[in-house]
Amino acid sequence: MTTETAIRVDGFTKRYGKRLAADGLTLEVKRGEIYGLVGADGAGKSSLMKAIAGVLSFDGGTVEVFGTRIDSARAAEQVKQRIGFLPQGLGLNLYPDLSIDENIDFFGRLRLVPADVLAERKRVLLGMTRLDAFRNRPMRQLSGGMKQKLGLVCTLIHEPDLVILDEPTTGVDPVSRRDFWAILGRLLEEKGVTALVSTAYLDEADRFHRVSLFHEGKVMGEGTPAELVAVVPGTLALFRAEPQADALPRLKARFPQTEAMGTWLRVFAEGLDATAARAEIDACLDQPAHPVGRTSVRHSLSDAPTCRTEVRPTEAPPIRLTDWFAREPELEDVFVAMLRQRGAKLESVFPEDGLTPHTSSAPAIEARELTRVFGDFRAADAVSFRVPQGEIFGLLGANGAGKTTVIKMLTGILKPSSGFGMVAGADMRTAGWAIKERIGYMSQAFSLYHDLSVVENIRLYAGIYGLDDKAARVRTDWVIGMAGLAGFENDAAGRLPMGLRQRLALGCALVHQPQVLFLDEPTSGVDPIGRRVFWDILFHLSRREGVAILVTTHYMGEAEHCDHLALMFAGKVVADASPEQMKQAVTAEAGQLLELRVDRPAPAQAALVAAGFASAVLHGRAVHLLSKTADADLARLPGVLDAAGVQLQSVQPRPLSMEDVFVHQVSALEAAQRGTP
Amino acid sequence: MKGFFSIAGLRRLRVMTWKELLQLLRDTALMVFFLYSFTGDIYVAASGVSMQLRNAALAVLDNDRSFASRELAGRFQPPYFKHAGEAASPDASLKLLDRGDAMAVLDIPPRFEERLTRGEQVPVQLQVDTTNSVLGFLASSYAAQIVGRYAGEVAMLREGLAGSGGPMIEAETRIWYNPNQYDPWFMGISELLTVVTLFSILLPAAAMVREKERGTIEQLMVTPLTPFQILFPKVIAMTLAIVAGTAIALFGVLGPVFDLPMRGSLPAFFLITALYVFTTAGLGLLAATVSRNLAQVGMLTIVILMPMLLLSGAWTPLEAMPPWMRLAAGFSPLHYYLDSAYGILLKGAGMDLLWDSVLAMGALGVTIFGVGMAWFNRQFG
Repeated sequence: MTTETAIRVDGFTKRYGKRLAADGLTLEVKRGEIYGLVGADGAGKSSLMKAIAGVLSFDGGTVEVFGTRIDSARAAEQVKQRIGFLPQGLGLNLYPDLSIDENIDFFGRLRLVPADVLAERKRVLLGMTRLDAFRNRPMRQLSGGMKQKLGLVCTLIHEPDLVILDEPTTGVDPVSRRDFWAILGRLLEEKGVTALVSTAYLDEADRFHRVSLFHEGKVMGEGTPAELVAVVPGTLALFRAEPQADALPRLKARFPQTEAMGTWLRVFAEGLDATAARAEIDACLDQPAHPVGRTSVRHSLSDAPTCRTEVRPTEAPPIRLTDWFAREPELEDVFVAMLRQRGAKLESVFPEDGLTPHTSSAPAIEARELTRVFGDFRAADAVSFRVPQGEIFGLLGANGAGKTTVIKMLTGILKPSSGFGMVAGADMRTAGWAIKERIGYMSQAFSLYHDLSVVENIRLYAGIYGLDDKAARVRTDWVIGMAGLAGFENDAAGRLPMGLRQRLALGCALVHQPQVLFLDEPTSGVDPIGRRVFWDILFHLSRREGVAILVTTHYMGEAEHCDHLALMFAGKVVADASPEQMKQAVTAEAGQLLELRVDRPAPAQAALVAAGFASAVLHGRAVHLLSKTADADLARLPGVLDAAGVQLQSVQPRPLSMEDVFVHQVSALEAAQRGTP
Repeated sequence: MKGFFSIAGLRRLRVMTWKELLQLLRDTALMVFFLYSFTGDIYVAASGVSMQLRNAALAVLDNDRSFASRELAGRFQPPYFKHAGEAASPDASLKLLDRGDAMAVLDIPPRFEERLTRGEQVPVQLQVDTTNSVLGFLASSYAAQIVGRYAGEVAMLREGLAGSGGPMIEAETRIWYNPNQYDPWFMGISELLTVVTLFSILLPAAAMVREKERGTIEQLMVTPLTPFQILFPKVIAMTLAIVAGTAIALFGVLGPVFDLPMRGSLPAFFLITALYVFTTAGLGLLAATVSRNLAQVGMLTIVILMPMLLLSGAWTPLEAMPPWMRLAAGFSPLHYYLDSAYGILLKGAGMDLLWDSVLAMGALGVTIFGVGMAWFNRQFG
C-alpha cells in the first residue's frame, strides 16, 4: 500500500507569457505520504499544485494522479472526486457571509455526501479542529488560523484520497500554524490520506515525510529532510565575537554564509567538521591557536580563500571569541549553499556614505504606557519599551496582538488614546512633524509604485523628504549600490524579483538617512538568499550607522537576528528580553526539547500525552516534547511507548527555536485567558 | 498647509505631481479609454446624435385615392419624412406603428378631395409614435405645419387668390449663435463636457484608491507630507491631463471636422475648464475616501455623474424642471461650466458676462475639496 504511487510528475513545464514558472519539474509522491513543496514565492509550487488538481493546463511534461494521466479536462474530472484542493490565500475558497456550518454543508452537498454521513463527518472534523464552539459564526469573523482550519475541514469533507494544500500556513501566526500541522498530521494518519503541501517556510520542511526544494521553477533537491540536510555536509557554528562588527566581514570573506544574530554570530562552515570549523574560524579572527584535534576535512573547497593568506592591517584590534557551539546545519543553510553553488551571490556591497553614524545616549524609541482603544477593544494596552540607538528590536506577536497598532502610533499614523512616546529624540505629542522627518518606514506590502522605475521611486521619496537635487542624486546612487540594483535602474519596480523589490523599498525608506527605521513584516515572500542579504544590510545599518531598527515579524527564525525582543499578546507586552534570555526562561520553566524518532508517530504521541507528557506534538515523522527532568524521562520513555506498541528508535535533545519559545509563551497565555474569562 | 510655501514644500508638490502624471501615462488601459473619449467618442456623438427630425418613416392610409390625397401625402418630404409605403387598413396601420416600421401614419378619409372642393372642413388623422417624446413632438408639429400650409393653398386657390398672396403673417425667425441649427456643435460640446466631468471624477478617485489598494498611502502618511500635499498634486496632475484632453477634442475633432466657431477667448475657456476639473475632482476624492477598490470607485463615479448631468441643463433646460430640482442644479458645478462653455465657444461671451458662474464654481470647488480633505484626515489622521 505504502509503496503505491499517488502522484507522478515528469518534466512538468509551465509558462506565463514569456516567464517560465516551472521548468521541467520531476517528482513522485507515494501513497500515505505528507509530501512538501518548499520554496519562495514564484518558485513554481502553485502552478504544479494546480495542474495536479486538474485546474491548470500546462505546456510540457506529464502529470499522473492515481495512475490517471491528467492531459485533458475529462481526465481531470475522473480523479477530481478523489482530490481535495485548498488554494492559496486565507479562506479564499470559503464564503465570508456563510457560517462555519453552512460552509461545510455547502462543500459536502457539492461533493454529494449523503446527509447523515455529512453530519457525522462534520461532527468529527469540527471536534478535532476545535471549531465546534463557533459553528454559527460567519467565516469572515474568524481569525486567520481558524479560517485555515475551516478550509481544511471543507477540503476533507468528501474524504478524498489526496489533499493538495497550497501554502496553508502563510499569514497564520506560529501558534495557529503549529496547531494546523498537528491537526493535519492526525487527520492524515487516521484516514490514510496522501497530502501534497507547499510552504514558503523552510523551517517547516521537517514536518514532511519527503520534500522537494523549489527555486525559480526548478527542483533543487528531493528526499527526506534528513537526506536533504546531508547533501551539503558541514558544521553550523554559533558563537560570540567582540567586536562583532569587525569579526563579521573577516568571517564573511572566508565563509559567505555568516550571519549576525543579535550578539551571536552564526557561521555555516561548509565541508568542515566541528573541529576543523573551529580552527578555521579562530584563524580568521586571529585567535590564539586553538588545539586542533584533526586536520581540516575539505569537500570540493580546495580553491576557497583561506583566512591565513589574507592581508590585514596589523593594527586591527584583537577579536575575542566566546560561547562556542557547533551543531549540524539546518535545511535553510543547506538550501542557501545549494543556491550558492549555482551562482547565487550573498555578498552585499555597502557603499560608504561618508556620514557620521547616529550616536545618542538617549533611547531612539521609548514607548511609555502607549494605549489605543477602539470601542471596547484595547488594541494596545499600556505598552512600554525602550530601544537604544543602534539596536535591532523585534516586536513579536500573533495576528491581532497589537504590533501594527504600536507601530502606527509610533510613526504618527494613529493617535494614542493615552500614554506617549519619544521617537528619535522628539515627543510624539508635540513634535509629530519632526518625528516624520527622522524616521523611515517600510510596510509588509513594500509600498512601492509598481509602475514607476527604480530610479523614479527613489527620486520620488527623495523629493518627498525634501532633499535637493544634488543630495537626491547622491542618495539615489547610494540606494542603488546598497540594494544591488545596478543594471535595474530603469526597470519598473513591479517587475523586479521579490528580493530586489524589498531592498528597493528599504532604500526608499532610507533615502533621507533616518535615525530610526520601522519595518512591518519586511521579509514576507522573499527567498532565503534575499532574506539573508536583507538582514546583512540591517545589521550594517544598526552597527555602522547607528540606526535603531524596530521590526515586526511572523518569521520566528528572523527573531533570532534581533538584539532584543518584545512579545505582545492581547495588546500587552508580556515578555521583553534578548532571544537568548527568552529561550533560557522557557527551558527553565518547561524543560529541554526532546525529539523522539519512532516507527508509528501518531499512536506514540497519543500514548505520551496519556502518560502525562502534555507537550508531546507530532513533528513530521518525529514527536517533540519538552522535558524538565530529562534523565528521569529518558528512562521512562521506552516503557511508555512499549506499552503502546510503538518502537522508539532514538531520542535526541534539540535546541529550542524562537518558534518553540513563541508557541510555548502564547499557548500558556491563551490557556490562562481561557481559564479566567 | 504647513511647509507649503517653503522650498521643500514646493519640491514635494512638484515630485508628487510628476509621479501622478507618470503613473497616469503608464496606465495603458486608462490612457486608451481617455484618448478615445476625447476623440472618437466626441466624433460619434457629434456626427451621430441629433435632436432633429430626420427621415421619420411615414405610412399612408389613403382611403380617397385622389389627386388631392396624393398631393398631401407627397408633401411629407425628406429630410424630415420618408415614405414607408401604404397601409391597407386601419389595423395594418396600427401594426406598422406597433412594430416600429412606421413612426407616423397619415390617415386620409374617403371623399377627401370631393369635400375639399365643396369647401367643407375635412379632418385628416395623423397617428404618431411618441415613444421618443421629442421626436414625436417634432413629427406631429411638422405634420401640422405641412397640412396647414396645404390647407391654406387649397383655400386660396378656391378663392382665386393663388400666387398673389392673401392676408398672411409670415414669421421671420433670426437664429443666433448656431445659424444653421447645426446639431454637431451642440452635441459635440455637450459630449465634451460630459467626458470632462467623467474623467474629473474618475481620474483622481482612481489614483487615490490605487494608493489605498497598494498600501502606498500608509507609506505617504508616515512621510512629512500633509494631507493637502498628498491630495492636491493628484488634482493638479489630473487637471493638466484633462485640459490637454479638452484641447485635443477642440483642435483635433470639433474644430477641423465640425467647424466649431470658438468665438470667445480660448485661454478663458481653458482656465474655466481647469477650475471646473478642480471642483469636480473634489467629488472624486470624496468617492475615493469611501471606496475600497477600483470597482467601487467606478460605481460611485456613475452615481455621482448621472445626477450631475441631469441637473446641469445639458439634457433639459432648467426652466422645465420642478422648482426643487432647479434649486439642486445650483449646486451642480456642471451647470455653471455648461453656461460658461457654451457662452464662450458659441456666443463669444467674455468674463464680463460669466463672472458669476465662475465665482459660483470656485466657491463650490473650494468647499468640496475642503470636505474631501476633512474626510481624508478623519480616515487616516
